Amino acid sequence: MSLLEIKNLHANIGEKIILRGINLSVNAGEVHAIMGPNGSGKSTLCQVLGGRDGFEVTEGSVEFDGLNLLDMETEDRANAGLLLGFQHPVEIPGVKNIYLLKESLNAQRKARGLGELDTFAFMKQVRELVKSMQMDDAFLHRGVNAGFSGGEKKRNEILQMLLLQPKLALLDETDSGLDIDALKIVSEGINRLRGSDRGIVLVTHYQRLLSYVEPDFVHILYKGQIIKSGDKSLALQLEAEGYEDILKAAS
Amino acid sequence: MSAPMPRAIEPIVLPDWLRSALSQPASTRIAPSDQQMMSSEQFLAWGLPTARDEEWRWTSLRPIARLAIADAKGEQAAPADDAPHLPHALVIRLVGGQLQPLPKNVPAGLTLTPLSHAHEIDRAAAFQPSAQGRNDALLALNTACATEGFVLDIAANTVITAPIVLEWLDNNTRSNHSQTRVLIRVGANSSATVLETTHAPLQSTHWRNAVSVIEQGANSQLTQISLGLAGDARLLTDRSFVHLARDARYRSINIQLGGQLTRREIDVNISESGAHCDLLGLMMPRGKQVMDTHTRITHGAPHTTSNEQYQIIADDAGRGIFKGRILVAEDAQKIEAYQNSRNLLLSNTAEIDTKPELEIYADDVKCSHGATIGRLDDEALYYLQSRGISRSNARKLLITGFAQEIIDALPYPELVEQMSALMRAHLSDAP
Repeated sequence: MSLLEIKNLHANIGEKIILRGINLSVNAGEVHAIMGPNGSGKSTLCQVLGGRDGFEVTEGSVEFDGLNLLDMETEDRANAGLLLGFQHPVEIPGVKNIYLLKESLNAQRKARGLGELDTFAFMKQVRELVKSMQMDDAFLHRGVNAGFSGGEKKRNEILQMLLLQPKLALLDETDSGLDIDALKIVSEGINRLRGSDRGIVLVTHYQRLLSYVEPDFVHILYKGQIIKSGDKSLALQLEAEGYEDILKAAS
Repeated sequence: MSAPMPRAIEPIVLPDWLRSALSQPASTRIAPSDQQMMSSEQFLAWGLPTARDEEWRWTSLRPIARLAIADAKGEQAAPADDAPHLPHALVIRLVGGQLQPLPKNVPAGLTLTPLSHAHEIDRAAAFQPSAQGRNDALLALNTACATEGFVLDIAANTVITAPIVLEWLDNNTRSNHSQTRVLIRVGANSSATVLETTHAPLQSTHWRNAVSVIEQGANSQLTQISLGLAGDARLLTDRSFVHLARDARYRSINIQLGGQLTRREIDVNISESGAHCDLLGLMMPRGKQVMDTHTRITHGAPHTTSNEQYQIIADDAGRGIFKGRILVAEDAQKIEAYQNSRNLLLSNTAEIDTKPELEIYADDVKCSHGATIGRLDDEALYYLQSRGISRSNARKLLITGFAQEIIDALPYPELVEQMSALMRAHLSDAP
């Protein structure tokens, strides 16, 4: 059984049809990259899987770890082990990072029938992660993403991912807007999560990330459908030839 | 369809108990007798202000007129014990307006004198602010009726680090009212923190109409904290007149979580160069609570600064009101005045009114104001939910985070901790 099984997924925003029959299967241990031009439906796919309001699924199904994902609340999806890395992480000035980390980890533990994590052990773990993402401890007491640079926001997304250890990480353009140093830190973080019991889906515009995090599969999303799948060489081909040729060949 | 008729605003009929308070023997009251008489006449002529009066457009004093206040004293009861407990605090307790014996730990340089025993000059200073019209009717009423109060004097060059806690207790089980007057004088180069709370037993309704006069000497510092705690059986109308001499710094932190009706007015007169004031406030009306703050800052001298940050979180059918007036006199150049009013509306039946009022006669000033009223940010809720946090917890995190911005400005870590806990309890308790 695959970890994530998307079958014939159709979704609208209002009158506008965005996803037109997506099929995708992700097994534990695999890293998939979904690439596609602007407006192809990449972010919509992420948001539909995340459970955001405002999208209407008209057809198809999504099974995650044996659960009917589309029937679940956003928080239940997260607690079942799906983590969505935001393209634009939200700034929440009044809520300190440390509270977000603690609340989310405890929510997850509660969902799994575990007690609250001991504060000392929690702080130790968090401090190590902060260090590994090359962030300052002071960041823990700042508001969530408040006044963060683009790179800091993305590093914060990866830090949360490493703390929560999801079964499936779905990273929406986590590499956009990163300089090369930040890209390396973020990629190392993603590689640390890689493992035989986890799946990772990278949604990206650029091949650049894929030279740091090597995908097992690359899919091209175009007009709401996956029109071509292959291994990592497809990303290189895309980089060399551009979307035009591949789209022509596929049609 | 014809335009709706403007709603006629009926005057408030003064209840008998209020008239009888005005006719108590002059000897039981503490204002200089000519002021008592004049204020009494003014108040009887004006009555209680209504929505016709500009400063009372949003807050109705009708609940006061509806109070069933009896002459006879009821049983004594212990007031709700939700006052903050601060180690090393100097607690000054006033029961039914009567100053209780002072604790033993009164620091040198601090003196406390009941107004009834105070020197004539001090009494004149305590009753110096005079009512200018119906908007000030409660001030006139207080001057006419105040029966107790005190002078808190902090000598020059005195630094008092422990909080001075003023606890106004009314332990009468029958509904009651009190008219209290305080003069706080902080000498040159001195500093102090005064924290005020009002308590009353829950089985009756109490209205306190308070006036404080604060005089700060050169280079002095005062933090005045006003906490409105739980219990809907409380009405508080409270006005502070603050006068700042050269380089003085005044900081007001006003946190309102409870009370059926709370109206705070803070008038700051910055009359000499180098003086600064910070006015911070958090009001969290819910149920049918009404919480109102009107601030008036007068920059009367050049090189003076002020900073205001007021936040309202209104839930259920609660109403929050903030009006901030800043007046910059003609020759008060090089002043800086910032005002920010940020508000959160949590239900369709809650109401928030906010109004900045800037009146600037000088031409070389930096003034800015901002006012926002919003709902909880859907994006932020979704983000938190995507981390596994339930929607109701996500809401709580966002609301407490918003409220915490003001609570974190409180001095003393114990106070921050205790007020944070009270604020969280206020959010989760059903009204």
